[in-house]
Amino acid sequence: MCMAVPSRITAIDGFTATVEAFGVERQTSLMLLGEDVAVGDYLILGAGGSFAAEKVPEDAALEALNYLSQVLADGQA
Amino acid sequence: MFPEARLDVTLTVQSGTVAQVKVRSNRLVQASRLFAGRRPHEVTQLLPTVFALCGTAQVLAGLGAMEQAAGLPPQQRHARQIMLLAETIGEHGLGLARDWPTLVGCDPDLPAARRIKIAMVSVRTALYPGGDWHRPGGGTLAPQHDRITAAIAEVRGALTDLLGADPESILSNFQAWIATAQTPAARLLAQLQAPPLAGFGRGPFLPMPDQGPADLTARMAGDHDGAYLARPHSGDRVYETGPLARVAWHPVVAGLLGDFGPGLLARLTARLVEVVSCLQEMTELLQDLNASQYSACVADGVGLGLVEAARGLLAHRVEVDGGKVKRYQILAPTEWNFHPEGPLVRGLKGAAAGQDLERRATLLVHALDPCVACHVTVDHHA
Repeated sequence: MCMAVPSRITAIDGFTATVEAFGVERQTSLMLLGEDVAVGDYLILGAGGSFAAEKVPEDAALEALNYLSQVLADGQA
Repeated sequence: MFPEARLDVTLTVQSGTVAQVKVRSNRLVQASRLFAGRRPHEVTQLLPTVFALCGTAQVLAGLGAMEQAAGLPPQQRHARQIMLLAETIGEHGLGLARDWPTLVGCDPDLPAARRIKIAMVSVRTALYPGGDWHRPGGGTLAPQHDRITAAIAEVRGALTDLLGADPESILSNFQAWIATAQTPAARLLAQLQAPPLAGFGRGPFLPMPDQGPADLTARMAGDHDGAYLARPHSGDRVYETGPLARVAWHPVVAGLLGDFGPGLLARLTARLVEVVSCLQEMTELLQDLNASQYSACVADGVGLGLVEAARGLLAHRVEVDGGKVKRYQILAPTEWNFHPEGPLVRGLKGAAAGQDLERRATLLVHALDPCVACHVTVDHHA
């Protein structure tokens, strides 16, 4: 399934953000976002992860991460 | 770490032709079963974040399933259709602006991609300012016509810049546009007009029926191990879903299908045609849109919600018992189109290999537009 993992911004350099999710850091472009973001905000990345697709509120991100943790623990495709 | 979903397509070449096509997927097609135990509105609140790539379509399929389970007719249909069209335009627009230029060696047009995406994302809040669009039974619909009209105009402007001409005029003079426009989109389609490319990837064309296969409900209900969700079928048929199946009737697409079959040219053109038809439909639906309110929706039952998402038919099936979800299933279009016997594989098997097979196969993957990253490998040594 095309699941999206909310990723927390740990650093921003121009239009590039470093984000973290499930202990893994990666870089993503902020070029396609229509709103300002800051370190600590949560982003959903598009397919492949090269571009951030949208900013999500912290409560929605944490709820989604909790659900995704259950999916990971469940381990069944 | 959370495993990144991806598809791996491996082509084995023997005696100059593609003898075997293997598609490996690590997509978590049963993840939605963990919605069991949650209340319906909790699920539709979670859906757009967890399945964000086509988050609107996912929520609308979920709402359709839950409302059917509650015995309600589909709610706020026009507003929801407008949101769905906005998402489809946004997804196809990203393809046209960001991905197509790279297929002819140009840089992505990120400013155009940004204009299209931001305009289409604004449509949700222009319809439901309170943000409750994902509420089963309907949200507080208070459409701001001016904002939506402005968003449509912004996309038309971005597409005109991107394509080098007004999108509607392109479809009335398609061949002339391809022959004269210097934009990456026109150059890509011009390259694909060469017969070996135009028809590359054609196989038996089995378009998805309207409202899905007749046996969809029964097969999803009987799928207790997730095998059907991973590899859907309808007896001996694995349908193709998405833009080509939906706009095969359009004169431009029908002409290309007649000349070259369901290959690269018809498939990529279908995405362009669909963007234009979505803009037209959105404009029409907006004329009759009025404010409306939520109607209660919590009832036990079984429901199936179907929507035509950007990449094809998306189905959600829910069983609600005691006010909570007992079972939840999602069948996404990528499982049809990238099925081991689906349109990608049918189109590649038996194709002439040649030097640029990997590029042609990658173009076909782009044309079928999977919702996860997809990597193509060619094995010439088997």
